[in-house]
Amino acid sequence: MSGRQRTNEGGRRAVVTGLGVVSPHGVGVEAHWKATADGTSSLGPVTREGCEAMPLRVAGEVRGFEAAETVEERYLVQTDRFTHFALSAAQFALDDARFGRADVESPYSVGVVTAAGSGGGEFGQRELQNLWGQGSRYVGPYQSIAWFYAASTGQVSIRNDFKGPCGVVAADEAGGLDALAHAALAVRGGTDTVVCGATEAPLAPYSIVCQLGYPELSRSAEPDRAYRPFTGAACGFAPAEGGAVLIVEDERAALERGADARATVAGHAATFTGAGRWAESREGLARAIRGALAEAGCRPEEVDVVFADALGVPEADRAEALALADALGAHAARVPVTAPKTGTGRAYCAAPVLDVATAVLAMEHGLIPPTPNVFEVDHELDLVTGRARPAEPRTALVLSRGLMGSNSALVLRRGGSAPAAN
Amino acid sequence: MTDQLAYQVTIEELAALMKRTAGVHVEPETLRAQADDGFDTFGLDSLGLLGIVAELEKRYGLGLPEQAERCKTPADFLALINGALKTGV
Repeated sequence: MSGRQRTNEGGRRAVVTGLGVVSPHGVGVEAHWKATADGTSSLGPVTREGCEAMPLRVAGEVRGFEAAETVEERYLVQTDRFTHFALSAAQFALDDARFGRADVESPYSVGVVTAAGSGGGEFGQRELQNLWGQGSRYVGPYQSIAWFYAASTGQVSIRNDFKGPCGVVAADEAGGLDALAHAALAVRGGTDTVVCGATEAPLAPYSIVCQLGYPELSRSAEPDRAYRPFTGAACGFAPAEGGAVLIVEDERAALERGADARATVAGHAATFTGAGRWAESREGLARAIRGALAEAGCRPEEVDVVFADALGVPEADRAEALALADALGAHAARVPVTAPKTGTGRAYCAAPVLDVATAVLAMEHGLIPPTPNVFEVDHELDLVTGRARPAEPRTALVLSRGLMGSNSALVLRRGGSAPAAN
Repeated sequence: MTDQLAYQVTIEELAALMKRTAGVHVEPETLRAQADDGFDTFGLDSLGLLGIVAELEKRYGLGLPEQAERCKTPADFLALINGALKTGV
């Protein structure tokens, strides 16, 4: 178990103490978990302003989100919808972790790491239209910060006065898992707390046009048929907005302030196999899984649930099933696999982070959520479909691939170093 | 000289601009009473002030001095802006 030794180097463990979610299933962890556990699909027609006539017909939109309920107006004026999601989800996560001002030993003890793949498309489009429609004087100065990938990390840091290690991972969809690995690394390296996650808002006209070139994007107009990975009816993926933010803390610091270690970020690895080369992603994903298990000191048989990438492209789905077989051996056909993202759509970098939040909840609730809209599975996988399956998962493997070729795997263990209470 | 009087930016207008361009809500009376405090105490950052300068330039159809966006307090800012508007620079 040399891998586990490595994780515990210096005696610091990165644990999850809080979750914040803004998803197509709802705003807040409770609404998200309820719909996820029920196997509900929240995919629907694209209704965001200016998007109605686009050839993208089905997506996971976040509805009923009122940023102003959580975040001060001055942050909202300066930022895009993706940062509104991030600021809100970060606040939800801090509240969930019961992490308040009094817990901040020094502003330098708290960092922020987010991943982003789409940026502030809605804000950026508005300002660029002002530029070309009216002239440069009509472009607001906040354009200089609002549409960057880095905006959410910056604004979460500024709003909360967190001055510890901050960063942004721009590494394709799988970057969402890489961001959590960065957070865990910062915690092991001496930072007490890292606010970490990803949120995306790619359902704006400019952003959708950017996605229309992806051959993997589902063009289906039927919400219950648009995103059905691992089936003979797979026709691509439905995109989504929203995401999740987690509070990753040093276990000792968490215990000292009376917070529960809900899960441990135990292992991670990432590889790159090139854009759209799905057959090659088999080897890349298998290596990422092996690397993450090795870092976690985890045998394949210990994996109790897999949250699949589940792209919904036959070649990619096949590569993922084979990667699991390559990395987990015979256990790949036995371990429950789920892809609750078929009920929300894929919010790019935020998709795997939302899966991590869902995995923590699944371990806590003793319930593996199903894969909505998926019935007959074409692969040698025990995909959980229909209803949630009662189980006692203690180790979850979360997988993610990006359209540009990144592959990442993250291993989560339930609770902290002490046995978790049931 | 009456048309020049119309070119004076009041504390009320500044408060309204702060709200509209930067989302910073400060009552005009508060802004008047604390006109020598830094903009940062109200939550207005340098980009917010830049946005206000741009709004005023659009409104009056002229360029304002570069120092405008570097003013630290509402009092300094209004003095500079209104001085510039008076001379029509």
